[in-house]
Amino acid sequence: MALQKRWKLSSAVAVVLAVGLGFVCFAATARPPVATPEPPQSTDAQQSIFTLPEALSDQARRRPIAVPNVPREFYFTRAAYTGYYRFRDFRSWSVDFPKADRQFLIGLRRLTNLDAYEAENAVPLTDPDLNKYPFLYTVEVGYMALSEAEVVGLRRYLHAGGFLVIDDFWGSFEWENFQNQLQRILPGYPIVDLPLDHPIFNCFYNVQEIVQVPNVGQGMQGGPTWESDGYYPAVKGVFDEQGRLMVVINWNTDLGDAWEWAENPYYPLKFSTYAYQMGVNFIIYAMSH
Amino acid sequence: MASWFENVFEFLFKYRPLLFERGTLSFGASWVVLVASVVAVVAAVPLLLRYRDVRGKSSARDRVVLTVLRTAVLLLVLFCLFRPALVLSTVVPQRSFVGILLDDSRSMQIADVDEQPRGAFIQETFGPESSVLARALADKFMLRFFRFSESAERLNDPAGLSFAGSRTHLSRALQRSTDELSNVPLAGLVVISDGADNSNAAVSDTLLDLQARKVPVYTVGLGRERFTRDIEVTRVEAPRTVLAGSSLVVEVTISQRGFDGETVRLDVEDNGRIVNSRDVTLTAEAEATTVRIHFTAADAGARVFVFKVTPEEGEMVTQNNERHQLIHVEDERPKILYFEGEPRFELKFIRRAVSDDENLQLVCLQRTAENKFLRLDVDDPEELSSGFPKTREELFRYRGIILGSVEASYFTHDQLRMISDFVSQRGGGLLTLGGRLSFSEGGYAGTPVAEVLPIVLEPMQERSEAEELAGPAFFAGLSVKPTPFGTTHPVTQFGADTDASTARWATMPPLSTLNVVERVKPGATTLLTGSGPEVDEQPVLVFQRYGRGRSAALTINDSWQWQMHHDIPLEDMTHELFWRKLLRWLVSYVPAQVTVTTEKHRYAPGENVSVRAEVDDDRFLKVNNARVTGSVRTPSGERFDIPMEWTVDKDGEYQGNFLPSEKGIYEIDVTAAREGVELGAATGYTESQELDDEYFQAEMRAPLMQRIASETGGRFYTRETVDRLPEDMSYTEGGTTIRERRDLWDMPIVFFLLVGLVGSEWGYRKLRGLA
Repeated sequence: MALQKRWKLSSAVAVVLAVGLGFVCFAATARPPVATPEPPQSTDAQQSIFTLPEALSDQARRRPIAVPNVPREFYFTRAAYTGYYRFRDFRSWSVDFPKADRQFLIGLRRLTNLDAYEAENAVPLTDPDLNKYPFLYTVEVGYMALSEAEVVGLRRYLHAGGFLVIDDFWGSFEWENFQNQLQRILPGYPIVDLPLDHPIFNCFYNVQEIVQVPNVGQGMQGGPTWESDGYYPAVKGVFDEQGRLMVVINWNTDLGDAWEWAENPYYPLKFSTYAYQMGVNFIIYAMSH
Repeated sequence: MASWFENVFEFLFKYRPLLFERGTLSFGASWVVLVASVVAVVAAVPLLLRYRDVRGKSSARDRVVLTVLRTAVLLLVLFCLFRPALVLSTVVPQRSFVGILLDDSRSMQIADVDEQPRGAFIQETFGPESSVLARALADKFMLRFFRFSESAERLNDPAGLSFAGSRTHLSRALQRSTDELSNVPLAGLVVISDGADNSNAAVSDTLLDLQARKVPVYTVGLGRERFTRDIEVTRVEAPRTVLAGSSLVVEVTISQRGFDGETVRLDVEDNGRIVNSRDVTLTAEAEATTVRIHFTAADAGARVFVFKVTPEEGEMVTQNNERHQLIHVEDERPKILYFEGEPRFELKFIRRAVSDDENLQLVCLQRTAENKFLRLDVDDPEELSSGFPKTREELFRYRGIILGSVEASYFTHDQLRMISDFVSQRGGGLLTLGGRLSFSEGGYAGTPVAEVLPIVLEPMQERSEAEELAGPAFFAGLSVKPTPFGTTHPVTQFGADTDASTARWATMPPLSTLNVVERVKPGATTLLTGSGPEVDEQPVLVFQRYGRGRSAALTINDSWQWQMHHDIPLEDMTHELFWRKLLRWLVSYVPAQVTVTTEKHRYAPGENVSVRAEVDDDRFLKVNNARVTGSVRTPSGERFDIPMEWTVDKDGEYQGNFLPSEKGIYEIDVTAAREGVELGAATGYTESQELDDEYFQAEMRAPLMQRIASETGGRFYTRETVDRLPEDMSYTEGGTTIRERRDLWDMPIVFFLLVGLVGSEWGYRKLRGLA
């Protein structure tokens, strides 16, 4: 009887724990999309370059972001989008933000003669001023859940001539979500593999191999480079009707982490070198093609 | 018919003014009269002195008046006693020749007086039933007839004129007839014409020759000096060569008589198809109305565009309502080198804008790091492999250069000089873009490139490296708008007309500039200006001709915003159109190593076509020892070669001639080689058609006819005054003449003066109580 009672108690505890764990997991991963930020009113020609977009997350706003007081040719612009993933102030678009952006910009300014703004520049997809930055970087698209306004904003941006680089999403689960989102943005546009002889691999650095860049933890510990079931890295693209590359997709790889931790002596040089080379190539390509 | 002045003059002075002009005054008094006159004068002196001292009722003023009157009477009598006479040179009947030049051109068919063609006067006067005028001339002179239009030739029967000549060449006609009559006693020439000379030849030399030969020319003007109602397409200013698919804005000048303020329709036709139309409101009669009409030269080849005003009711001449323009629409792909000193979005979006343009090849060289270059759209692996071209041969292969944001110190002095020579000597197009390393901010002031630019570059203060890193020295937002000229310029006109273009520009989003540009050079043309909160109006797009080529400056930094900006609809093509039009315009008139031109684009069948070719080597230095071959393809497809020789007058210029026999478009292919090495080839076109020049500016040109007459000692007549011609011609220095005296003492004016003076004295005395 005692045994039976103890079994029942154990079962009840297990059920409670299971339910509790399930709830926590659901809360952490399947949280309903956050409300779409209200697009700010269109401002005059220069205002948005110098001011932080209102729609940025609290986290981003709390961080010290240097506001540019001089015009620059290039702003490393990160897309601030609506996603499923949210933990306190942390949103999926802001992974590695802003350290990765800043460190990459240091390298970019040193390696090229590009007149690049030194700090990060995150802009919501619904912001009309998004179109003032023809280069856009975004991450963790496996958790992307765009509002209709964001879909329209990004579609318009890409058709007008904007260039989008996607990074840091892994495995088939995240791919499926991304693919669904992309079909909303660019319905009917196929995603194709970019061969190594595509100019994006040699317009500045001659990249001869697509490297899987692991997250910082696995990279420094020498663990496996993959996550989930994303065993093989790929660089894919979406072209417009004229054959012009609009979107570059870095799947099963995390260039952002390599930029963010490039200064760490334990972070393998191989990964950060590849990440910087690809990053520079993306930008040079985006500014010439 | 003589004027009232001439009639009064003749009544008072016995003879017509012409005789006084032609004759010289002489006196026929004998020595007895002379001696008697002297004695009388000598005797008169003491009498006058004595008269002065006479005292009576008269005052000093009375004596002066009476003395003057009496003296005038005496002098008049004395004048008559001296037997004044007019000595004239007059022709001996039937001993002198007169050349009669009859205008046989088409303009003589114009029926502008009493609904009779101008040529009817000639037919009536010199036809089978000779008029009084013809008989009067024939009584006095041996007549020799000439017909003239483009050339002049003897005419046996004046009735045989056809009035079909396609040109009027007055000076050639005068020269030809004078030469032919040089061995006979020539009393003068009579030119019967409307004076509508369209040969573009100056008559001054011919007139000097006629003066030297003492051949007076009597001109008879036919037709109206001013039409009552007429519209004429006076001028069409269009390029001879354009790239296929280019937008053209052609300047059309329309003149009118009697259509003040009325609106007419102007059409442009491309081989019979209307490619654009616009309504034109005609300004006051004294002014020509110039309009700019926009259309696209879509199809390649030699195209005949017709600029046509729809004929209006009551026009005297409708053949002058249209002009034809032959335009060679080239299906080429000229290369433009775009050098960008740093990665910039301008390059990306300019490339995108012109990527679909099959008639432009934009070769890009982008400096992406200190010594690292990205080459795009090069033809071969060697092209631009060592950066910006270092030799003239390499640079001059391009027809246009775009300089982006690249500092002057990047270039060697030789390269800067080469860029300057690219414009001035090679005849290329240079476009400089605004940017943080452009213009003054890029250190170009004082360099050879600054000489070429259409804007004035002020020297900039040196900036430290820290300052450079901190950002540009200047930044301003600019709302761009076209200047009045820019609203109709082929590069900056968007839309069918000026209003549409202005409205389109008003909706374009603002851009920015990093360059302080305040002044444009004298002679430069500003197409776009910009202003904003930080700056007053400053030039945005300016160009000028420089030497053989042209240079333009676009001072903005981010024209790509016209493509990307949120307010620009995705389907809007303004950015693409702007860049395509700008780059096409930049290289449209850039010569190749070998060029071929004809003096005109249209010739009459049988008229000599002068073909000129200019030959340069690959450094664009003139070549005088080339072997140049011309080959002409006739409209029916036959080919024949024409020899081309160096003109000697001008370096690198070769000339050949041919006579077109068919109507249609002739293709002229020229190739040049030196020492077995081909220098290049070129193709040009010319059209052979019956010319309609005779219907343009076809009003009777009295000033020219008067000038010819007055400078040679002849007279100008109209139909109304021509009956005096035979008599006037008889008083001449030319031909076989005799001297003739005509007494003047019996002129009625002498009698009237005598009566008047004596009567005045009598009247004065009666008035003053001195009688």
